[in-house]
Amino acid sequence: MSTTSEMMIPALDTDYDLYFGPAHPGSGNFGVKLRVDGEEVVSARADPGYLHRGFEKLMEYRLPLQNAVLSDRLCILEALNWNLVHAEAVDELLGIELPERARYIRVIMAELSRIQSHFIWFGAFCMGTGFDSGFKIAFGYRDYILDLFELITGGRVYPAGYICPGGVRRNLPEGAEQKILQVLEKVEEMIRFEEMEHPTLTSRARGVGILGPADAVRLGATGPVARGSGIRTDVRRDDPYEVYERMDFEVPVRSEGDAYARYLIGIEETKQSVKIVRQALSQLPAGETIAPELRKPKLKAKIPAGQVYVRNEAARGEAAVHMVSDGSIHPYRVKVRGPDFLHMIPVLEHLLKGAQVADVPAIYWSLNICPADMDR
Amino acid sequence: MEPVREAEILQSLKTKFGVEGEVQRIRRVWVSIGKEQVLEVSGWIKEQGFEHLSSISVTDWVEDGSYELTYHLWSPRDKVVVTLRTRISREDPSIASVMPVWDRSAGIHERELHEMFGVKFEGNPDLAPLFLEDWEGPPPFRKDFDWREYTREKYYNPENEREHVYYE
Amino acid sequence: MKITVIGQLLKNLVSKPMTVKFPHEAIPIPEGYRGEHVLDIEKCTSCTLCAMICPNRAIEMVEAPPEYKATYPKKYPKIDLGKCCFCGLCQDICPQGGLTLSKNFFLSTFDVSTTIKAPFPLQSAQSAE
Repeated sequence: MSTTSEMMIPALDTDYDLYFGPAHPGSGNFGVKLRVDGEEVVSARADPGYLHRGFEKLMEYRLPLQNAVLSDRLCILEALNWNLVHAEAVDELLGIELPERARYIRVIMAELSRIQSHFIWFGAFCMGTGFDSGFKIAFGYRDYILDLFELITGGRVYPAGYICPGGVRRNLPEGAEQKILQVLEKVEEMIRFEEMEHPTLTSRARGVGILGPADAVRLGATGPVARGSGIRTDVRRDDPYEVYERMDFEVPVRSEGDAYARYLIGIEETKQSVKIVRQALSQLPAGETIAPELRKPKLKAKIPAGQVYVRNEAARGEAAVHMVSDGSIHPYRVKVRGPDFLHMIPVLEHLLKGAQVADVPAIYWSLNICPADMDR
Repeated sequence: MEPVREAEILQSLKTKFGVEGEVQRIRRVWVSIGKEQVLEVSGWIKEQGFEHLSSISVTDWVEDGSYELTYHLWSPRDKVVVTLRTRISREDPSIASVMPVWDRSAGIHERELHEMFGVKFEGNPDLAPLFLEDWEGPPPFRKDFDWREYTREKYYNPENEREHVYYE
Repeated sequence: MKITVIGQLLKNLVSKPMTVKFPHEAIPIPEGYRGEHVLDIEKCTSCTLCAMICPNRAIEMVEAPPEYKATYPKKYPKIDLGKCCFCGLCQDICPQGGLTLSKNFFLSTFDVSTTIKAPFPLQSAQSAE
């Protein structure tokens, strides 16, 4: 009796190229060329550059205040975190002392931006694995934080350089602190939703995309991707900036290294961010919100010569800016290091090798990818 | 907090390799090395615990006729950033790649710098173009690449009055 | 396998929606929103600081047409809303407080000529377009 296997057609040379590309609804502005054999990915090649705008060259022709407006477009999903890195680089070159109230407001805005970026991560992860209701609920709750941004900075998505060199552009309006506390309660509702059992998500994300600790260091992973593989690193704890030394928060670490571990770390980090915002609000002092010499925008202020390297913890990993100045009014060279530059090219190509085609979205979205700070 | 560990690291680099440097503030040490010492210093400093390469950057100093390369390294144990700076010639820029020490996290930075500045990294097996497609001109981030002329020739439409602000 | 999320989804079915029926109802816009520009021409001293600080060069200083030349002899800002990124730097730098941003964001249009905000009404005989 012939079994089914004898009746099957013998395998042909079946490697084919599958383009998980930039016009795909589930991949953002970024393409990956997969070489697939049947259902298994043999190798992957990243194809970046669809969003390359040449920021490093654009910033050489503008004043630091105009660069602050430009810096929120480095990655719009975490705009205030990028505003903060750029402002810190200019502050360190100028060598000025910031007022205390400005530093606390900067920390509050950066943590709110991190919370809304993690909601987008949860929503995109749900969409990629098929749980579409989670996507819509996440974006619904994100809107409460965007209403807060509209009240404080004047724009829902683009804060237009709210965190600028010298401090922040405007003071908190009347009643902003009460509103922030009300929004934090809504955020906790969303965290309770995220912690429920989502069968689609867990069955698709468990055990795929495992990144070991040695590979994570070798390939340059930072942020939640490294913490999901057992490496205890957080720039806010190791290399503190602003007032993070006075804040009490934990750094969640998991050792499994799969997509589900990274997902759980995202939820833990949101909880810690809520804790930081509550502490910062209770310690917020009165006073100035911007250094006196930078209160009115100046067109001819020179930046002292020198070089600085500033590192921050953005929502996706380690964000750094290397700024060189030669004493004129424009910066001479600005180099931006985005966390996704390392996550999308070496780490993704390593993780996709040997994976099944059906697991590609779960691995892809678990790395929390934003093509904007890869291409700059 | 006094920068004690930073001063120790700077002192050991000075005695072992004869290089100059400074402690800029806590957690930041800047060291200038020679171009041929890059691989040796990198190998030694990785053993001291500097496992994470944060980034590699190039600054184009036109008057001096040189490129300044900076390697920013982080040690999770000592919690210090050490920056190695070195100068190479601008006309024929080439230097040994540090991929044997830091693997692909250095390789991807070198690939981008090769495309944008034209630096040849010897020993890096993958220097294919990264962001730009079908680019025939000079490396675009050099200071002597006149991007205004390039966009004016390629994209300016004099019929459109709103573009006059940028090109007149 | 616990499926607690079904309880939450059933609760969402009967609770109040998160959205309002725009444009019949609207959430009030807070003060300080960065919308369309409003120029108070009596306060303008033609210092051209707004044109110099704009990151996108959206502001151009133009002279008044002949019938307004006597009362307004200097140059005044003409804003190209298509280039503007609504950052508000021009509002911060104006020393007299003449250029401010209002709460109007209903700016999308099919007619390209409305994207240029000139300080004076353009006469059809003199207009360049």
